[in-house]
Amino acid sequence: MRILIHDRNEEFGQALKEKYDRIIRADGKYAPCQGCFHCWTKHPAACGMKDSLHEICRVIGQADDLVIVTENWYGGYSPAVKNILDRSIGTSTPMSTYRAGEMHHTLRYGRHSSWSVLVYGETAENEKKTWKLLAEKNAINDGFRSSEVSFIPDTEELEARAQ
Amino acid sequence: MKTVFIDCSPKKRLSASGFIAGFTAAFVAGKKKKEKLRTKADYGRVLEAVKDADSVVFSMPLYVDGVPSHVLPFLREMELYCKESNPALNVYVIANNGFIEGRQNEPLMQVMENFCARSGISWRGGLGIGGGVMMNVMRIMLTVFFGLAILNTILAVVREGSFQAGPLLGFGKQALEVLFFGCGIVAFDLWLAFCINRQKPFGKRYTRVMLPSFVFILFADIFFVIASFFQGGMFRGWLAKKKPAD
Repeated sequence: MRILIHDRNEEFGQALKEKYDRIIRADGKYAPCQGCFHCWTKHPAACGMKDSLHEICRVIGQADDLVIVTENWYGGYSPAVKNILDRSIGTSTPMSTYRAGEMHHTLRYGRHSSWSVLVYGETAENEKKTWKLLAEKNAINDGFRSSEVSFIPDTEELEARAQ
Repeated sequence: MKTVFIDCSPKKRLSASGFIAGFTAAFVAGKKKKEKLRTKADYGRVLEAVKDADSVVFSMPLYVDGVPSHVLPFLREMELYCKESNPALNVYVIANNGFIEGRQNEPLMQVMENFCARSGISWRGGLGIGGGVMMNVMRIMLTVFFGLAILNTILAVVREGSFQAGPLLGFGKQALEVLFFGCGIVAFDLWLAFCINRQKPFGKRYTRVMLPSFVFILFADIFFVIASFFQGGMFRGWLAKKKPAD
């Protein structure tokens, strides 16, 4: 399954709907993660907060290829996109293992294929360095086999690059 | 010298970030202010506190390899303020993560360093702590053990009519054990406090709870098995590949 998470407008997602099995628009109309771990210990793979991200980890968990379109915020995701990722830790289980020589949680949905990030907005060289590390770490953490980051200064090109 | 400690945990109380911020503050001299940054409603109050500070210490949990999402818009507001007012501000970061390796906080540290670069304020470094949840559990348990030791001592006086040192000695042993597991955290934190006092660079340092990772994983698994048993998740498809409703 191919899933897109983006923080652009509604039309952006509409234009790409043929290319993805699922499109998640990061509109920011949801609460941030409260760090309660109930998506592991109380109601597995579901959040206690009943907003649009209530079962988002069950959706993201289905992804073979995950594409994220985000504005650059200090070498990391925009708040609306990061909020979705923070609320998605139920894609893993509470039990621990080793991956890439580090401690991580075991994967509820098994291994995935590719984690791709398309970054728009002015991005300094130090931020690009952070992005590469961040995407690589995200891919390991969430069990994706590869990670890729592309920087798209011109937002006009975003749609074509996200195809 | 004024230092503002910002506890960025979304939890109302008993957070690891709040504890380590308070612990660090105990060793920092001068005027100190502790602020909680949980929601957007806190942004204005915290920004006001930052305005006449010499140093700011962000204490936060690692969320999905980075800064928790509710903190990011505050950073943008602080960036705008700093660009406008150009304050001489030193920024330190304490990050803690649930995994044993403190080094997993590296992307978060870089994001905070990039924030300082954009804001024109001085990045003075950060401390990444591995095993933050365990550190927090240990300090809560230590408080409970202390309460029990005092209670048992009082009960012994009431029953026997004489002071018994046993309960307090038992607590002393437990405190030493916790101190052993947390010696890296305590040592690096004291070093950080020393740097904050002198407004000197700390660099990026990583430490952890002093346990081999395979033992730590065993403890973490036991913790989540117990939590999932009592909260009921274990009986609701605990490890199942749950499908979305729609």
